[in-house]
Amino acid sequence: MIAQEQKPIEEILGYLEGKENVVLLGCGGCATFYHTGDKKAVDDLAAKLKSAGKTVTKISMPLGMQACDTEKSAIFLQKEKSAVENCNAILVMSCGDGVQVVTEYVDDEMGLAKSVIPANDAIGLVGGGPFKFKETCQSCGMCELGKTAGICPLTACGKGLMNGPCGGVRVDDKCEIDPEKDCAWVKIYKRMEKLGELDEFIAMRAPHEWSKCKRPRLFELEEPMGMMDMMGAMMNFNTITGYMSMMLAKPPEKEEEK
Amino acid sequence: MPEEIYSQLMKELSEGKYVFTGELEPEKAGNVNEPIAAARDLIGLVTACNVTDNPQSFAYVSSLAASYKIELETGMECVYQLRCSDRNRMALLSDVLGAGTLGIKNILALAGDHVALGDSPDTKPVFDLDSTTLIHMIRKIVDEGKDLGGKEIEDPPKLHVGGAAAPGAAHLKSEVAKVKRKINVGVEYLQTQVVYYPEILDKFFTELGPVDVPILVGIFPAKSFGAADFFDKYVAGVDVPPDYLANLKKTKEIKDKEERKAEVDRVNVEFFTDFLEYLKGTPAAGCHMMAVGYPRIIGPLKKVME
Repeated sequence: MIAQEQKPIEEILGYLEGKENVVLLGCGGCATFYHTGDKKAVDDLAAKLKSAGKTVTKISMPLGMQACDTEKSAIFLQKEKSAVENCNAILVMSCGDGVQVVTEYVDDEMGLAKSVIPANDAIGLVGGGPFKFKETCQSCGMCELGKTAGICPLTACGKGLMNGPCGGVRVDDKCEIDPEKDCAWVKIYKRMEKLGELDEFIAMRAPHEWSKCKRPRLFELEEPMGMMDMMGAMMNFNTITGYMSMMLAKPPEKEEEK
Repeated sequence: MPEEIYSQLMKELSEGKYVFTGELEPEKAGNVNEPIAAARDLIGLVTACNVTDNPQSFAYVSSLAASYKIELETGMECVYQLRCSDRNRMALLSDVLGAGTLGIKNILALAGDHVALGDSPDTKPVFDLDSTTLIHMIRKIVDEGKDLGGKEIEDPPKLHVGGAAAPGAAHLKSEVAKVKRKINVGVEYLQTQVVYYPEILDKFFTELGPVDVPILVGIFPAKSFGAADFFDKYVAGVDVPPDYLANLKKTKEIKDKEERKAEVDRVNVEFFTDFLEYLKGTPAAGCHMMAVGYPRIIGPLKKVME
């Protein structure tokens, strides 16, 4: 999922200077998961905007209805069509994908010229949880994990080296630019050692093929996911056992600060 | 050892001569007057001088321009340091061909410090290649006359490529594996990061085992307490011995400038005499003296090795 955090309110209000009438659009995708686009987040930000003198129309999108999906954003923008038409700005509580899908829809389909402003900063694709998440993949279009013992050095190494480690490994095998972060290449070494693959560690890996990541990348799906597909995907025996296990499990405890 | 020799540095290394190299640092200026003056002081004392490329990711005069100008004006052979932090593979190729065009005969291929550590931390880091793939690319250019994509290079440059090693790396096994990787792709000589402790170097040589590539061990005689203290605090993988640091610190109390300089020299000669004596008994092919801005110490230290 795409991790994100809300921008400082001062920055948001800076973008909204002179724009008194605001449509505030949440997101039922990743932003809901990270509490930066769910109904409560929409209500909280709306309250701050109101206390700064703005007139706010709130639109929250339920879980599974994400702003980056044109069809879904369209439903909620059309529902508040007159507010969208009359506003000075649309503030979108999603990652940059959601913001830009809304921009394009409002421009091209609604035929309106509106400022569309991000409320969040997207941090990137992350995995892990429930409290701590880590960026491990940058969707480069050419996965190298098969050559690096399942750890992506392009993402996990501060320098993105294909043939590390660099000379900056700190004591405790941390990264030279951040003592909080592990050196990806020491981790790769240790995994390869365990797997008996140290010859592969010593072999040179060719420079990464960035040609697989010509931006902006376009992607086409022959058969888009329909409503029935989505329901089918949710209604599966594993769904029930999965949710049951999560309900019965002990809630996660946050690590004590050392 | 390479079949063809293009530089004095490689010639002396291949003859098995004990080699000294120095280090020159271009500044944030529109000239290279200071490193040129330092190079003049080092003529006859070292075989060649490294010319640093944005060390610690502080942006200075281009090391290629500086190397060319220093060789032209002083006759000192340069080791043009080239790092991957600031250039993609196209820019690196252009600079290697540029170096050949300007008559540069030695390149030291480095990954480079992360830009976040330097004086322009908002810079977008590049690292399109790394030290190993840069060495590989340079060997391909020089030996095969081809770039990474296999395209022909007319009149390929004739130069030697070196690499770095970090004997003090916190995780030595992966560092040594990386050094072996550089050797496998054709690095022609190695210069190490600064070493202060014999036991660190012993461990490194033991872990590495016998290799055909000459290794120059880096030392850093500091011209002041401040320089040594900076090294200790900010250079990754280097711990400056506390006694040496304390002795340098004491020199700050000396008011007379000339007396203070003489005492700093004495502290350095005292500390490094022992280390250089020890170095004679190691597989090191020479010593890389990173005495930036401190050329006067090199003569007295070289005497130890005679």
